[in-house]
Amino acid sequence: MNQHLSSQQVSMWMAGERAPEQEQHVRECRQCAAELARFQATLSLFRDSVRRWSDQHDGSEAGSVFEVGPAPSRFRTWPARWAVAAAVLLVVAAVPIYRSTRHSQSGVTMAQADALLLEQVDAEVSRAVPRPMEPLLKLVSWDAASGNGAGDGQSNAGRKENHETTQQH
Amino acid sequence: MEPVATSGVMTAAARPDAEAEDFDATVRLHWRGVFRFVLASVRDPDAAASLTQDCFLRAYQARERFRGDCAVHTWLMKIAANLVRDHARNRRLQFWNRMRTPVVGMDAASQWIPDWNLSPEARASAKEQLQAVWQATGRLPERQRTVFLLRFVEDMDLLEIAAATGMKEGTVKVHLFRALQSVRDRVRRLE
Repeated sequence: MNQHLSSQQVSMWMAGERAPEQEQHVRECRQCAAELARFQATLSLFRDSVRRWSDQHDGSEAGSVFEVGPAPSRFRTWPARWAVAAAVLLVVAAVPIYRSTRHSQSGVTMAQADALLLEQVDAEVSRAVPRPMEPLLKLVSWDAASGNGAGDGQSNAGRKENHETTQQH
Repeated sequence: MEPVATSGVMTAAARPDAEAEDFDATVRLHWRGVFRFVLASVRDPDAAASLTQDCFLRAYQARERFRGDCAVHTWLMKIAANLVRDHARNRRLQFWNRMRTPVVGMDAASQWIPDWNLSPEARASAKEQLQAVWQATGRLPERQRTVFLLRFVEDMDLLEIAAATGMKEGTVKVHLFRALQSVRDRVRRLE
């Protein structure tokens, strides 16, 4: 192989893909060897730079920021399991009780509503006159109490009628 | 490369105390490597610290499912890579990241030049190269960036990267090649 390594071949070389003839060429060609060494130096510079940068930050804080706790398993202990089972039983038992309480409460409410309705019906039935005529009834009972009004009108009309009968005679 | 714990918390005895102590040792052993990879991926020290904690928390929660098919380091990197991917895909975070000024930009990331007794000119050149690499990796697709960082920051080999990313070795090689092409193109513009 007499040709120098192409850019792609340099990248392939750095990625670990090396043909025997390329290795032979690099051993003999200073230019290609220098090219590879330069690229390798750049990558080493980058690696050491990253390591130096990370060393400035991570320090020895690993132990302080990460505390190993108990193994993360839900309900791992038996007391926790018993507590959960008891809670579930309580909920299951409470549901029928709650339902029956609500049912009895609704029965009481219904009886009260029925009694109220019956009272209203009794009140309507026991009225002397229909509700729209109640104002007239009041008027009549006021005239009767005072001795004037309709009764007085009747007597006046009677007197007038008697006076006309006398004149005809 | 970070030392690999072959007998970690996952193979610990059934005693809870021993298990906790063992996992604590695992955290101490692998914290730096996980944090470094996450930091290089998200470029935000606070977010990296938070994601690293999440990584070890998930590892602790899933420790009973770890069957020792790969090294603990590789397993942790797999969790970390998934967390980084989820972090990047979080649209809400992406929105706020666009709205706010980045906590640490590429200039800040590229200022960490190793102490190689460099001349001022060489330091300036090194800084330019670092900026070019950071810019190139920032524009890489997520898989290419993950593969590149695992290979050239964590020094993991292709098989380990394949185990950590769930890809086949050939796929890893293709992603790595493309990532290297992008980085090399960017660096060559400086020359």
